[in-house]
Amino acid sequence: MTTDFRKSAPEPLAPVAFKIPESFHTSLDNGLKLVVFEDKRLPLVSYRLAFLSGDASDPADHFGITSALAAMISEGTETYSSRELAEKIERLGASISVSSSDDFTVLAASALSIYDDDILDLIQEMILRPSFPEDELDLYRRNTIEHLKFQRSQPGFLAGEQTARLLYGPHPYARVGPSPSDVEKLTRDLLVEYHRKIFVPNNAVLIVVGDVDREEVVKNISARFGEWQRKPVAKQTFPALNGRTKRTLTIVDRPGSAQSNIVISKLAIDRKNPDYFPFLVMNQVLGAGASSRVFMNLREEKGYTYGAYTRFDAKAHAGDFEATAEVRTAVTGDSLKEFFYELNRIRDEKVSEQELADAKNFLSGVFPIRAETQEGLTGLIVTQNLYGLPDDYLQTYRDKVNVVSVDDVAQIAKKYIEADKMVIVIVGDAEEMLPQVRLYADDIEVFDTDGNVKDLSGYGQQDSGQTIDVGGEWSLNVDFQGQSVPVSLKIVQNGESLSGRLETMLGTGEISEGSMKGNKLTASARTEIQGEAVEFSISGRVNGDNISGTLSAPVVPEPLTFTGVRDVGDQAGAAN
Amino acid sequence: MSERFKLPPLEIEEYYLENGLRVVLNRDSAIPVVAVAVYYNVGSRNEREGRTGFAHLFEHMMFQGSENVPKAGHFQYIMKAGGTMNGTTSSERTNYFETLPASELPLALWLESDRMRSLAVTQENLDNQREAVKEEKRLRYDNQPYGQIFDLISEMIYKNFANAHSTIGSMDDLDDATVEDVQEFFRIYYAPNNAVLTLSGSFETKTAKELIEKFFGDIPSQALPPALDVTEPVEVASNYKEWEDKLAPFPAFLIGWKIPQRRTPEFNALYLAGKTLYDGDSSRLYQKLVKGEESIIQLFGFTDERRGPSSIFVGAIPKPDKDLSKIRDTIMHEIQDLATNGPTADEMQKLHNQLINDSVRMRQSSMARAQHIAEFALYDGDPTLINIELDELLQITPDQIRQGSSQFLNTDNRALLDVVPAGKG
Repeated sequence: MTTDFRKSAPEPLAPVAFKIPESFHTSLDNGLKLVVFEDKRLPLVSYRLAFLSGDASDPADHFGITSALAAMISEGTETYSSRELAEKIERLGASISVSSSDDFTVLAASALSIYDDDILDLIQEMILRPSFPEDELDLYRRNTIEHLKFQRSQPGFLAGEQTARLLYGPHPYARVGPSPSDVEKLTRDLLVEYHRKIFVPNNAVLIVVGDVDREEVVKNISARFGEWQRKPVAKQTFPALNGRTKRTLTIVDRPGSAQSNIVISKLAIDRKNPDYFPFLVMNQVLGAGASSRVFMNLREEKGYTYGAYTRFDAKAHAGDFEATAEVRTAVTGDSLKEFFYELNRIRDEKVSEQELADAKNFLSGVFPIRAETQEGLTGLIVTQNLYGLPDDYLQTYRDKVNVVSVDDVAQIAKKYIEADKMVIVIVGDAEEMLPQVRLYADDIEVFDTDGNVKDLSGYGQQDSGQTIDVGGEWSLNVDFQGQSVPVSLKIVQNGESLSGRLETMLGTGEISEGSMKGNKLTASARTEIQGEAVEFSISGRVNGDNISGTLSAPVVPEPLTFTGVRDVGDQAGAAN
Repeated sequence: MSERFKLPPLEIEEYYLENGLRVVLNRDSAIPVVAVAVYYNVGSRNEREGRTGFAHLFEHMMFQGSENVPKAGHFQYIMKAGGTMNGTTSSERTNYFETLPASELPLALWLESDRMRSLAVTQENLDNQREAVKEEKRLRYDNQPYGQIFDLISEMIYKNFANAHSTIGSMDDLDDATVEDVQEFFRIYYAPNNAVLTLSGSFETKTAKELIEKFFGDIPSQALPPALDVTEPVEVASNYKEWEDKLAPFPAFLIGWKIPQRRTPEFNALYLAGKTLYDGDSSRLYQKLVKGEESIIQLFGFTDERRGPSSIFVGAIPKPDKDLSKIRDTIMHEIQDLATNGPTADEMQKLHNQLINDSVRMRQSSMARAQHIAEFALYDGDPTLINIELDELLQITPDQIRQGSSQFLNTDNRALLDVVPAGKG
């Protein structure tokens, strides 16, 4: 009797209403829209000045200009150097940052409300009078190119790049970033011109949240931005998107990858689509969280992965849905099987009332938690205003979640989760995983990590497990920044273990820890280059007298690809 | 500035249950959510040799079910009620926390009390969580570029085993952990008189107190855990180590110093010295190295705050072909300047505004408040210190920063870890 109350979860207390007041809206004569939300809980203020142009508006001959513009706004103005700006902002204990996304370019600032005026002065200076100093632009170009190189070593980036290309085709959403040559082309003149074109008041919304009075805000903003000149803004049109007619499989080969990064995707809805709320609830049941179906299946039951999720990205002009996980290479095929099982199940069977209630409870319960901090609240107000959602969007959010029914979810799943028209992208070791996943599509293509098409027939042909003969002298051509560099490899084979020498123009080294499994060669060789010890790792696939693979070393940021042939006639390798 | 800026004090009430559970209530009804945090006075510093990683492994066991909550039920219950939750382990403590709609306070108290009084310790759960922890160790430490460097430098700074060993532990020790170890650990450390329960957010005080008594009141207390010695000699354990990192694409280095414990004037002064050196785009080292010399890709630094001897770190990932020793010279040169001249008036103004800003921001979230208050209750025996924390920091003078830098940073008594890329890239 004494412990009976512990047997099951206790009843909740009476619910406490959560009310968000509506924001105040106005605009200046020059067209700058102003949204004010008074939040006097703490002496803080947040600003978001958002321009309704993002990376998707980049001109075709200058990809990357919006993101460069955003980055360079903080790097100097007519009055202050980059360093002075950083000092002025941080001396207030404040922050100002500028970033771009597909649809928007946003300056985000936050400060103690006692520094309201100072922070507005700095925003005005940065927005109206950036100077784009040549030396800072030069540093930006070099650092960005380094970063782009680094990204190609990240499987998540490679998967996202292919997915965007396949889903969006001719639409600018197809691009996930500029190329190094795009970045090299950026000049100060281009930035000045683009700033003049995009940073105009009638293309912007200024959102102010915090310990402020609306009349004061209107006065302060008018004083600083009232003279800002209105300019015509070209109405942008985007190409129409074609739905896909069948399922396809695209692989990015990353030899030696321990995991396969799987992204199964399809076009879905834009942010203003009336299907948004049923989609949100459907996605919560299917895979948005750690108690959703996909996670429970692939992680909790099968143990294939640390996390498996579905998500949807509803942008201004289009959107997509994706199911994604990073799984152990050996269970790539099994993971696809479970993903498609769940994608079909949510289409073919109605969700239970309990699952629906749990999903809705979660979505409406976390809403006030998100609104607790000023950052979180501001984020919600920004979403509402940038995507042009209704004035009562925040007030009715939870009602709209709560009216979604089992039938609504079924209808949405039928309409959008067409498992037979999905794009499958997998980044991983193609040799290991292709045999597991071939069944899932008739159309299969393979790329290397640089985006070059590779010949599909070269994969999965040597599954006998029999170790092949690799002994002898090989001449390799290593691709180093577009140059072909000759390297010679002398291999002595003893069963599965290899020894020998690696000879480069810069130095030579003995092979240690070499092995041959099936047709897969791995070896490392320690060489000396200009007095420095450098350890090379070699990974390759042997096909008769041909070899291809990668050569990597700590001194190069990413693996170098090579192809090579065995010098026929050499007998050095035939030990045992 | 500090004179004209006074934050209204948080409303804090503290009391004990008869079984010794320390309860702290911080009511703030601005938003109808409530945060519940349970802090146990046990961390990796309490681990004995041969059982490293045990406190963290135990944290995983706390999600494996209890008498009335099924395995993995904890997070299902929380999510389905519209809440968020987690648990973490550090050298100092193990914490468990959830934020929920205000009406779901009973659920949080039911879940936390059920595992405090009746954790399900089985061989199967242990084996299963041991594997999960090993997978986590592979994913977050062993298989990440630079993933092990902070554990390595702690071993170089501290001589006392309690301080030096890592929280994630070793694979061998994880393998050796037995069900009996888990049961014993639970009995000794997971007792109500070794814990703090903090509520922050929207609740009626009377209702909350009744519920807390109902769910936690009859959990028996235990004998106090064995005393712990975390004292350290002044010298670091080792000055230099070269570490071959198979996954690192670039070389990197990390410098660490041993400094006095948290909340001492010396620690606070060094915390501010650190911010002056590495915090933000206007910090001295960012301006010298990322800008200026343009010699590094990334700069990082932080203090590791402990109840015993603590530490401070500065590290960098240089650009290819840059001379690492020159970068380190620049760092030591700036430290020397700070140790000689102290921070400038501009830097002091920046520090003060940043401290006020941080303090105000921390108060926005009920979970951040609950955690902060629980730390003061557990470490210092006084949850109301949250109301004077900011003043303590604002009172630190430029000369204290200069002196702290001179005594603890501008010295050869430091550890340098050199990371050498050694893999396939």
